[in-house]
Amino acid sequence: MAAVEVHKFAQCITCHAWSRDRSMLAFCPNNNEVHIYALLQGKWEKLHVLQKHDQIVSGIDWSARSNKIVTASHDRNSYVWNLEGSEWVPTLVILRLNRAALCVKWSPRENKFAVGSGAKTVCICYYEQENNWWVSKLIRKRHDSSVTSVAWHPNNILLATASTDGKCRIFSTFIKVVDAKESRTGPSADSKFGEQILQLDLSFTWSFGVRWSPSGNTLAYVGHNSMIYFVDDVGPSPLAQNVAFRDLPLRDVLFLSERLVIGVGFDCNPMVFAADERGIWSFIKFLGERKTTSSGPKYGSQFSEAFGKLYGQPKQGFNNDTNEHSRSRGGVHENCINCIVPLGAPGSSKVKRFSTSGLDGKIVVWDMENQEDLAEYL
Amino acid sequence: MSNTLRLYLTCIRNTLDAAMCLQNFPCQEVERHNKPEVELKTSSELLLNPVLICRNEAEKCLIETSINSLRISLKVKQADELENILTKKFLRFLSMRAEAFQVLRRKPVQGYDISFLVTNYHCEDMQKHKLIDFIVQFMEDIDKEISELKMSVNTRGRLVATEFLKQFM
Repeated sequence: MAAVEVHKFAQCITCHAWSRDRSMLAFCPNNNEVHIYALLQGKWEKLHVLQKHDQIVSGIDWSARSNKIVTASHDRNSYVWNLEGSEWVPTLVILRLNRAALCVKWSPRENKFAVGSGAKTVCICYYEQENNWWVSKLIRKRHDSSVTSVAWHPNNILLATASTDGKCRIFSTFIKVVDAKESRTGPSADSKFGEQILQLDLSFTWSFGVRWSPSGNTLAYVGHNSMIYFVDDVGPSPLAQNVAFRDLPLRDVLFLSERLVIGVGFDCNPMVFAADERGIWSFIKFLGERKTTSSGPKYGSQFSEAFGKLYGQPKQGFNNDTNEHSRSRGGVHENCINCIVPLGAPGSSKVKRFSTSGLDGKIVVWDMENQEDLAEYL
Repeated sequence: MSNTLRLYLTCIRNTLDAAMCLQNFPCQEVERHNKPEVELKTSSELLLNPVLICRNEAEKCLIETSINSLRISLKVKQADELENILTKKFLRFLSMRAEAFQVLRRKPVQGYDISFLVTNYHCEDMQKHKLIDFIVQFMEDIDKEISELKMSVNTRGRLVATEFLKQFM
């Protein structure tokens, strides 16, 4: 079984994040608080409750190097929390937003973070020493709808965004004050702040969950029409692949390696996508086990339908029909999974573990170690 | 249950299963608000194409979906005037007690007899498959209920008439 740990912390979890050594966990239990749990003597115990927001917290990210937590909330605010002694102290972020903040991500160097918002803008925030607050620069008038997800390219400059207008866009976020000259390499070499590098118009409906591969060569995002899109060679001539699958749409994705992607969403079960030698992506399997397969009862009902037609016994069909779909999904998660976070071992670049959280209030840790059929992709 | 009704309900069940992929989504137009987009209809990009499932002209089901809410409107079969009035009274009785049903809408969408409004909050509190079961069961029962009501009205009418006419014997 790929799920190694299952914790039920709350009724419902909107998002979660781990500290660098995986001993602490922060999550939002679907309200205005952020709870921080720590592993003490083999048991998870609630250590802190961060209360500053006054509406539901929509995004949490924990920086690995500087050990800071950034939170974003529907109340239009964002805070950076720093552990001083035994207290988490919030620092104000001047977001200048007039709508809800929907997602937040630290940049790879952790000197900036990006906040996607319902105001159709993206805020790139950086620290201002003299005032002791985080200020933001806005990417305005580029999105036609809410920004649902943001992802940083490993080079700390490029930012990919997914929006409910169905498009995925890539921007340069070069800020003179923070980004040193030497970081200007590659395709972003001569782009100003907020310049749109690329707009991907592959999805017909809302797009969510955008991520870069570890090297930054491939970009993946999902559409609400049960499609996942992979884009190689991001630049003037990108190569895109669309993969359609037969199950419910995804909400978020995660690259475990250059050739292996995990998608989570409304099907309550992580889906594995992989690229073969030629770089063609396809759906491999569901990661969690299912006690009931969805094709089983359907087949049965078709059979009984034919049976009923033959013998004129609608009653048989009726009995079969009432329990036809009232199946619980039988996986580890019982409701939509909306957050997936990598759990790389410290000191190793390989990600073999990840955790998922969903509307059922569970946080599940998955391990890919003993998945023989997937080992070649890792 | 007749075969056509079963197909109709299965079709609705499968459509609901695909449509009920809702998430928390704050309002884009009004600050600090979070409202069902399918009711407000302020941003067209947040709405999906509505699906209309018809069994026949008198019986249909309209499923409208948005990013954070889903509206299901039903038109129940009304063969004659008696059924018409029974349906109207019965569904009015239910709609007036809408808060007890949580997902029931107080007022049906124009052209329909009864409407449900499912939001992302319902999906967080309740299991999705149970929610779908409830709606399908409701549709299944409503026909039964109304034909039973009709039957009892007719029986009662017959009894009253018999009693009344006895005095002339």
